[in-house]
Parts: sequence; structure tokens; C-alpha cells
Amino acid sequence: MKVEIDSFSGFRIYPSKGKLFVRGDSKVFRFASSKNSSLFLQRKNPRKIAWTQVYRRMHKKGVTEEVAKKRSRRTVKHQRGIVGADLAAIAAKRNQTAAIRSQQRLAAISKAKTEKKEKETKKAKPARAPVASGPRVSKQQMKGGKGGR
Amino acid sequence: MIGLKGTLNVIDNSGALLIECVNVLKQKVNNGWGSVGDEIVCVVKRARPVSAAAQASTTAVKVRRGDVRRAVIVRTKKAVRRPDGRFVRFDDNAAVLLNNKREMLGTRIGGVVSADLRMKGWGKIVSLAPKVV
Repeated sequence: MKVEIDSFSGFRIYPSKGKLFVRGDSKVFRFASSKNSSLFLQRKNPRKIAWTQVYRRMHKKGVTEEVAKKRSRRTVKHQRGIVGADLAAIAAKRNQTAAIRSQQRLAAISKAKTEKKEKETKKAKPARAPVASGPRVSKQQMKGGKGGR
Repeated sequence: MIGLKGTLNVIDNSGALLIECVNVLKQKVNNGWGSVGDEIVCVVKRARPVSAAAQASTTAVKVRRGDVRRAVIVRTKKAVRRPDGRFVRFDDNAAVLLNNKREMLGTRIGGVVSADLRMKGWGKIVSLAPKVV
């Protein structure tokens, strides 16, 4: 036994009650009583008829119980390791205290400074060395081509 | 409730469009009413134009205006009671053409038919229909 619902008002239709109407475009409409079917055939809009379910849902009548359930959803964020920095490495980095970090910063700065100095001295010396490289020889002579015809 | 002079739409591809009832075959009275699943004798009032080339070649029978044929009613505007107590009503009256041996003339049915046909023994029509209510 299947309890249908009325196509106009949303009421429940028990077996042996009501009418079934099949329209020309093969759409099926079920009516629980002659009141519903008459209003449907007069082409009344159920959204404007105050006692229908469609109207009540639209104007939110009597639905306070349904609204209270909707708050219990929150997404939980999970920390995930990436390729190159697994979960332990991320946690270690995050848990460093400020003191350690500033120390690391100073160490990095001083290292950079020394490296820079070394670079400068290196640049000064080899800049002169490759200038004196033998007498000037033209490219053609070096290549030893056809003998200059 | 189809009786004398009642018009029905034809929903198969036999070529007829509109038929008019002349006699309802179930009862031995002249003023009987036909309902879903009843056989009637009818006159074709309007038919699709049959081209001369198609006349001789096609195997499907094409009916013409003025033909007297038989038909079975598949949809009625008058509500029909189902065994579970429901009433089913369609928006128009419709029929499917038959020959004298209760076989269909067309090969396809377009539209919804009533499920009461099955109870009256027209299972072939029900199986061909695209939708049964």
C-alpha cells in the first residue's frame, strides 16, 4: 500500500480515495478530494492558496523544528606533510622558539658576510691574470686555413 | 462513455487522425456506452494524406477518410474505477484501430494508454505503448 501525495495541496492520499488525472501531455496529477481537483482545474496557483503545503513551505509556517538541527556541521582541518617536508619537520620548525630563530638569523647573516668578502677578494685577483696570454695572433693564422689565396 | 457519434483521437500510426463511433460492440443494445477496453465500429473522419507512391509499396495499411473500421478505446475523459478504488481520468478520448480479427492495424502507439486494457485482454497494445497509467 503506497500513500500518494496530492499534486495540488500536498495532502496524503490513502488507497480508494481521490482521483487520478492524466493530462494531454501525459503528466499525472493526483487529487485527494474534489476540492483540490476543482481548484486545479480552475487553474488556481497553489502557492497562493493558504492551506496548501506549497504555500506553507514558501511562507515558512510551522517549520521551527527543522531549522534547529542544522548547526552541527564543522569541517576539521588536518595537518598533512608535503613532499620534501614531512609532518615531523613541519612540527619541529613551528615549535622553535624565538630565541633560536634569531640566533639562526644572525648566524646566517654573518655567514653571508664572510662569503661576500671572499668573493670580492677572489674577483680582484683573477681579473688581471687572463689578460696576459701570449702575443696577439689572428684567428686565421691560428686556424691555419688554405694558405691565404 | 463513448457512444454513437462520439469522436476519438487515433494514437497509432495507421494514418487515421479522428474517428467517429458508429456502434459499440459489447452490448446488444444500440444505446450502449463504450469505455476503456471496449471494441467499437467506427468511421474515419479525418486521415493523414496518403501519397500515391506509398500506396502500393508499403506493407503497413493506411486508412483513408470514410473507411469503416473497428477500434478499441484506450483513453476516456470519463473516469474509470480501478479495483483499488481509485478513479482514473484522461484529458481526451483516444482509440487504436483494429481489423476484424482484433489485430492492430498500425505498428506503433504514440501517447499514454490506460492500464485497464490489460485487464480486458489487450496485452499487445499495452506492451507497445510508451507509457501506461
